[in-house]
Amino acid sequence: MDATTATPVVEANSAHSKFHTFVQIAMVLSVITGIEIVLVYLPFAKWLIVSALVVLSAVKFLFVIFYFMHLRWDKVFCTILFFIGLVLAIGTVAALLALFGSEASTPLTSQISHLGFFANV
Amino acid sequence: MSHAGTIDHHHDATTATGIPNKKLFMWAFLASDCMFFGALISTHLIYRLHPPPGSPSPRQIFSIELTSFSTFILLMSSLLMALAVNAIQKNYLTSTRHNLLGTIFFGLIFLGCQVYEFTHFVHEKGLTLSNSLFGSTFYTLTGTHGCHVAIGVLWLILTYIRSFKPAGADAGRPWLAGAFFHFFIFALTIVAGMATVLSGVHAHLAREPFREFISHNLLAVGTTIVGLAILTYLGRSRGAVEFGEANAIDVESMGLYWHFVDIVWIVIFTAVYLLEYL
Repeated sequence: MDATTATPVVEANSAHSKFHTFVQIAMVLSVITGIEIVLVYLPFAKWLIVSALVVLSAVKFLFVIFYFMHLRWDKVFCTILFFIGLVLAIGTVAALLALFGSEASTPLTSQISHLGFFANV
Repeated sequence: MSHAGTIDHHHDATTATGIPNKKLFMWAFLASDCMFFGALISTHLIYRLHPPPGSPSPRQIFSIELTSFSTFILLMSSLLMALAVNAIQKNYLTSTRHNLLGTIFFGLIFLGCQVYEFTHFVHEKGLTLSNSLFGSTFYTLTGTHGCHVAIGVLWLILTYIRSFKPAGADAGRPWLAGAFFHFFIFALTIVAGMATVLSGVHAHLAREPFREFISHNLLAVGTTIVGLAILTYLGRSRGAVEFGEANAIDVESMGLYWHFVDIVWIVIFTAVYLLEYL
């Protein structure tokens, strides 16, 4: 194969493989979503199911940002920039939940929820 | 169809960072939007953890089947968006247009599901924006996400219409007028189509005969059919266009926004819906 024919073949293969990568990732994401839905009905310990849900959601999240959003192929600065916002957001959520979770901060109007996961946190 | 593939879509030597400015802007915006949604999600979770007396039971309100379907639809729209970006980077214009249309269609299905869900919650479950804290935080969070989806659909439609701009500097006002007409027909067809589908669902649930459904919704059904016919006509290939591989960064920026909407929903689906079923 000479140089003039090699480039289009490589490009075609690259396009082909990326197409298949995206389709395969979409299938994986669908399967994970299905597992998440089934998981909440299984008779396992709540902490186990909650942990599994968090991990599965994180896997879906990472698949989308690194493949569909091209972070895997882009300069690392894009990843750093996005993760600054993401870490601040996760930190804010964690801090607020911890703050309102402490006994002294419980709203006076609050009642104990008897509904599923939220009753035992 | 050309096979250019000469542009490096991940790097731009003309900027200080080596990243195209549009992409850098979009990542910075999405980073800030993370914090915005982080605040909304934590507000919802805090009031779910400390519900005031008389709070409704979300488990009796939610429909896990509908929400799961919406989630699946949004995931598939993300796939089509990724394929649209991939296609324009290879200068496959027809494929780009088809994938954009698919993304628009799936985005509209998601919005239709949300409209149906909200209508159902308000009218049948009695959950409004102001009658409980749960309603306030739930509608604010999911409604804000829905607004993001709606903005994404609008952006997709505008990009799709833009892809028909003829090559050459003489396009000018005639094209602009045509683009406005194209957008008007798009908007009209979407509104009429959504009204038709939602009326169809209600008619199906009420076991209304098909003939009665058509006679009650003749205007919406007729507008949808005529609108789709005009959109098909306007969507035909009309010679050389300006839009091509050089615009891949525009499609990619839009794609980043669309995928972000998807990842926010991934979090909302777990934190707001699935945890209620434990």
